[in-house]
Amino acid sequence: MNAPVSNAVTRSLLRRLLGNGTLIVAFIYALLFTIFASRQSDALSQTSITDLFNNAAPLALAAAGGSLVVLTRGFDLSVAGVVALSNVLMATQVGEGPQQALLGLAVVCTAGLLVGAVNGILVAYIRLQSIASTLATMIVTSGLALLVLDAPGGTVPDFVADTLTDSAAGIVPVAALILLAVVLIWLLLRRTDWGVALYAVGADETAAGLAGIRTRRVKFFAYCLAGVFYALSGYMLSALTATGNPNAGNSYLLLTFAAIAIGGTSFSGGRGGVVGAMLGAATLTLLQKVLFSAGVSSFYTGIFQGVVMILAVLVAATSDRFASGRRA
Amino acid sequence: MSPPADTRGLRRAGLGSDVWNAIALFGLTALLIIASRWISSGFGGWEQTKAILVLSSFVVVVAFGQQLVILTGGLDLSIASVMTIGGVLTFNFVGASPTALIWGVPLILLVTAAIGGLNGIGVVWLRVPPFIMTLAMGIIVYGATLGITGGTPRGQASPALSALFTASVLDVPLVIYFMLAITICGSVVQLGTGFGRRLYAVGTNPAAAYIAGLPVRWLTFLTYAISGASAGLAGILMFGYAGGATLTMGQAYQLPSIAAVVVGGTSILGGSGLYIGAVGGALLLTTFSTVISSLGIAEGWRTVIYGLVILLALLVLREELYLWAGQLVARPVPLRQPGEPAAKPDA
Repeated sequence: MNAPVSNAVTRSLLRRLLGNGTLIVAFIYALLFTIFASRQSDALSQTSITDLFNNAAPLALAAAGGSLVVLTRGFDLSVAGVVALSNVLMATQVGEGPQQALLGLAVVCTAGLLVGAVNGILVAYIRLQSIASTLATMIVTSGLALLVLDAPGGTVPDFVADTLTDSAAGIVPVAALILLAVVLIWLLLRRTDWGVALYAVGADETAAGLAGIRTRRVKFFAYCLAGVFYALSGYMLSALTATGNPNAGNSYLLLTFAAIAIGGTSFSGGRGGVVGAMLGAATLTLLQKVLFSAGVSSFYTGIFQGVVMILAVLVAATSDRFASGRRA
Repeated sequence: MSPPADTRGLRRAGLGSDVWNAIALFGLTALLIIASRWISSGFGGWEQTKAILVLSSFVVVVAFGQQLVILTGGLDLSIASVMTIGGVLTFNFVGASPTALIWGVPLILLVTAAIGGLNGIGVVWLRVPPFIMTLAMGIIVYGATLGITGGTPRGQASPALSALFTASVLDVPLVIYFMLAITICGSVVQLGTGFGRRLYAVGTNPAAAYIAGLPVRWLTFLTYAISGASAGLAGILMFGYAGGATLTMGQAYQLPSIAAVVVGGTSILGGSGLYIGAVGGALLLTTFSTVISSLGIAEGWRTVIYGLVILLALLVLREELYLWAGQLVARPVPLRQPGEPAAKPDA
C-alpha cells in the first residue's frame, strides 16, 4: 500500500505544480519582466518598480475580487459600477487628512459590500443567472456614480493620493504592501471553512450541498467580499488618478476578466485563486509597458493582450491535461 | 445557478414558458408605448413606435447570433468589436458606390463570419471557455480595427444603406420590413429546420447529443460563425443609420445584446429559449431606454432606472411563473424530480 500512496503524493504534487495556473502566470510575468528589464535600463530603479506596483494595484484588487466569484462558477460584471462609484465618492465626498481617508475607506467599502450583498441575494438566494443580475446591478451602480458626479472632475484628497502611491520608508511601495496584505488575507481565508467550501461549491455545487455545505451562504459571502475588493480597487485607482470619473470603471470590465483568465482561474469553477488573478493583472499592465518600450504602436496593444489571454488558457489547459494524464 | 426547469412537457402540450415570455414582452412593450402618452403628448403614437422599432433593429439583428450561441451554452462577448469592424469596413471600402455595395456587403459578412468562426474554433477545438475566447477575440478585433484605420475611420456614407432608414413603404421605414424578415427567417431557422432543433439538443446536453450522433462540434462552430455575421450585419446597418462609422459604434450593444436574450427568456445555461423572445426583449429594453431618456431627468437616474428595469424583468419573467401560467391552460405535467440528474453536465 505504501508505494501507491507515495505515488499518489508525487502525482498530486505534479498536478498541483503543472495544473497550477498561478505558477504559469508567475512564469509568464518573470519572462515579460526580463524582456522589460533588458530593454529599459532603469527598469530596476526605485521609481520604475513603484510605478509598476502602482499601475497594477487597482486592476489586481478588482481581479482578486472577481476571481472569488468565478471560483463559484459565477460572473460578476458589477465590478465596473463599483470601481466607478468608489472613485467618484473619493473625489467628491472625502476631505483632507488621515481621519477623513479612513472614513472614505469605510464609506467605499460599505458601498461595495452593499452592492455585493445585493448580487449575493440575487444569485445565491433568488437564484437568478449571475451574468444577467450582475449586469443589472452594474448598470444601477454606474447610474449612482453618475448621480454623485455627472462629469469627470473633483479631486481626491492629497493625503490619499500621496500616501498610497508612495514608498514606505523609501524602499517598499505602499501598493506592494497592500497587495501583499491581500495575498496574506487570502491565504488565511482559503484555510477557513468558507475558503474550502468556496472551492467545493465551484467544483460541484450539488455534491457540496449534499456534503452539508451551506452553498447559498458560501456564494453570498463570495459576492459580498468581491464587492469590497472592487471598492478597494476604486480607492486605489482614485489615489493613482487623483481625480474622479464616473466612467472610470468601464475599462475594468474586460480587463478584470482577462486578468482572471490569465491568472489560471477556471471559468467552470473550483480551480484557481486570488493570487493568480492578481498576477494576471500585473502581467496585463506589464505587457502594456513592454509593448510600449518595444516600440509597438499602442493601437496593437489589444491584439497582444487578447493573444496572451488565449495562450495562457491554452497553456494552463495543456499542462493540466498532462498532469491529470499521469494519473491514468 | 440552478438548472433550468424542464419545460419540454409543456412545450408538447402547446404553450411553453418561452412562448408566454415572448407574449408578455410584446404586451409590455405595447403597454409601455401606450402609457408613454402621459409623459409627452408627442408620444404613444405611430411616429414614436416607428422610431423605437428603427432603433431596436440593431439589437434585434445582433441578438439572433447571440441567442443561438447562448442556446448552445456559450456566450459571445466579441459582438461589440465585430459590429464596429463591420461598420468601419463598409465605411472604408464600400462607401457611396452602389456597385461596391453589391460585392462588398457579402464579403464583409464573410469576414465577420470568419471572425466568429475563429471564436468557434477556439471554443470547440481548442476548448477555450467561450467567455474568455470571445472576450479575447473582441480585444484582438478592436486592436485590428484601430490599426487598420490608424485611429480614425475615413470613408463615405452610403446612400443605398441610408435609404433603408429614410425611405418608407406604406409609412413604414424599409428597415422595419427588413427586421421583420430577419425575425421570421430566424424563427423559421430555429424551429423549422433540423439545424435549429439540433441546437436545442446540443444546448440541453452536449454529451447526449454527441452520443445520439449529432455533429455537436460543427453545430457549435456554426453558431459562433452566425453570431459573427449577424454582428457584422448590425454594424453595416448602424453605418447606414449614422452615415458613418466610429471606433466605438458597437460598444453600446455588447451588454444589451446579452440583456435582450436573457430578458427574452433564454437560459444562459443553454438548451431553452426562443429567438422571438430575444426580439421581444430587444423591443422592451429599447422602448424603456427611449421613454426614460425623454423624461428629462439626470443621466444618473436614467441609468439607475434602466438597470432596475432589467432587474425587475429578471425577477418577474421567471420560468416558474410561466410554468404556473402554462398549467392554467395546459394539461399539468410533472416537473423534473429532485433525484434526477441535472439537465446539463459540466462542460
